[in-house]
Amino acid sequence: MTDFFILIVRSLRTYLRQPAAIIPGFAIAVFFLFVYSAGLSSVARLPGFHGSYLAFILPVAIVSAAIGGATLAGEAFIRDIGSGYFTKLVLTPTNRLALIWGPIVAGGIILVAQVVVILVLALIMGLGSATGPAGLLVVLVFAFLWGMAFSGFAVFVALRTKNGAATQAATLIFFPLIFLSATFVPRQYITSSWLKVATDINPTTYVFNAMRSVLIDGWRAGPLLVGLAVVLAFATVTGALALWQARRATQLK
Amino acid sequence: MTTASAARTPGVDRSIAVEQLTRQFGDLRAVDRVDLEIPSGEIFGFLGANGAGKSTLVKMLATILAPSAGRASVAGFDVRRQQGKVRRAIGVALQEVGLDPLMTARELIVLQAQLFGTSTGPARQIAERLIATVGLEDVDARKRVGDYSGGMKRRLDLALALAHDPLVLFLDEPTTGLDPASRIDIWNEVRRLNSEQGMTIFLTTQYLEEADKLAGHVAIIDHGRIVAQGTPAELKRGLGEEVVELSFETADGAERAASVLAGVAPQCRLSDGVLRCYFPVAAREVPGIVRALDQASVPLRGLSIDRPSLDDVFLRATGETVDHAREREAGEPAPATVTR
Repeated sequence: MTDFFILIVRSLRTYLRQPAAIIPGFAIAVFFLFVYSAGLSSVARLPGFHGSYLAFILPVAIVSAAIGGATLAGEAFIRDIGSGYFTKLVLTPTNRLALIWGPIVAGGIILVAQVVVILVLALIMGLGSATGPAGLLVVLVFAFLWGMAFSGFAVFVALRTKNGAATQAATLIFFPLIFLSATFVPRQYITSSWLKVATDINPTTYVFNAMRSVLIDGWRAGPLLVGLAVVLAFATVTGALALWQARRATQLK
Repeated sequence: MTTASAARTPGVDRSIAVEQLTRQFGDLRAVDRVDLEIPSGEIFGFLGANGAGKSTLVKMLATILAPSAGRASVAGFDVRRQQGKVRRAIGVALQEVGLDPLMTARELIVLQAQLFGTSTGPARQIAERLIATVGLEDVDARKRVGDYSGGMKRRLDLALALAHDPLVLFLDEPTTGLDPASRIDIWNEVRRLNSEQGMTIFLTTQYLEEADKLAGHVAIIDHGRIVAQGTPAELKRGLGEEVVELSFETADGAERAASVLAGVAPQCRLSDGVLRCYFPVAAREVPGIVRALDQASVPLRGLSIDRPSLDDVFLRATGETVDHAREREAGEPAPATVTR
């Protein structure tokens, strides 16, 4: 546990020393929040739509911020492997789980800080939460877990390829995950049948649904439990891939 | 017993034992059936040109690479089966430094000490002590390692290797690329660690002078195999007590002299137009050498009597000088070397 804490602090310190790696992801999330909430707010006037469009689009901004957190952890491993420092860490008696999860959790903490800022901005813009501050906390927890899931994937690719460009490119697959969903309008307004299928099989849809339900509808167990199950399943798969690859990376060759 | 106290306690195993250790990379056998016995508290010099197998052997002993065959133990622990125990007992500064460029020197040493179980306060004290030890105390404490020069990084890497007071220290070419003053600083530190803490130090180097000055025993590796082993004095004595160095007006003269002197001087080596011949007592042989060359009309430019160096040992063991081996590694053709 001590190793874990020490390595989280180390990762946070190095992440904060690269603002250029944090700011773009955050800027894109804020951009989504401002541009789509202003430009598409008329969607809220469609018959059958309830709640504010700001509350509807906020999860999109938050999930896009999660990609930034994922990139941080993946790039940290690439930097450590490239500089030879990863070998130095492997040669310490450090717990192998701490070695992998330290940078990932630190990326999650940065993500949570970003999401807090995004939520504050949204509140200033007039966001109302049907479940009050507790609902905002739930949104924060979903953002953290989704960020962990993204990070697990990025770390898996980083350890597998040991290549920064490949790690960056791999995180791009999350853009279809964001946009092939009920991203800008509720599912019932999607006319294309293939996009409806994509929306139904896209795990992000259920994260959006869970966040939107607490912001717009109030406490409803269904979307929350499904969202939680999906996010935990996704995080388990990517986390297992990352650990499997980490075990290979830290074994004698 | 903590590692730190063990380092100064007599009777603690700090030895290295290597038996038929082999490492294969595809068709290349980088380390070929190497045997070594290094007792506790020794400074051991491991000599060889680039690509001879030095770093591969160090990486196997440091549990970074798995041996393809053979066995090795460090501080009494098997490198294959007891990796965790080996890692606690050793400090490693590889040829390629391993440092996070975004962190400061103190942060890195504190982190290293913490990961070996030292709490924060003592870890900070260790950092201050080691920063001074490796001569980085005048560097701005806020300066990130990415802005350090190559020499500073190498010294910091050594400090990291020492952060947990290891029993055995592996230094893979620790002074390569350093200026002469920094090199002497590292030598002094190696001697101090060995004499004050009884640390066993396994030092690979391309610099014969370095091995000669520091090491109690040396081994020379060539194409993965140990080709000579012993104390520097023993290895030099094996060539003869003294050496006669002959230089000639032309390269052709040196070649001819090597042939002419075959009967007079049975142990000669030619390199860069200079012929070095080894004898128990050189002065007794000089008249015969001069006479033989005169009769063969080989014009002599200079003659001097010297003691054999480790370079001579290396030359005999590998068939080329260290300088030539470096040039070969750099892709330059090595001058013709005649040995017999």
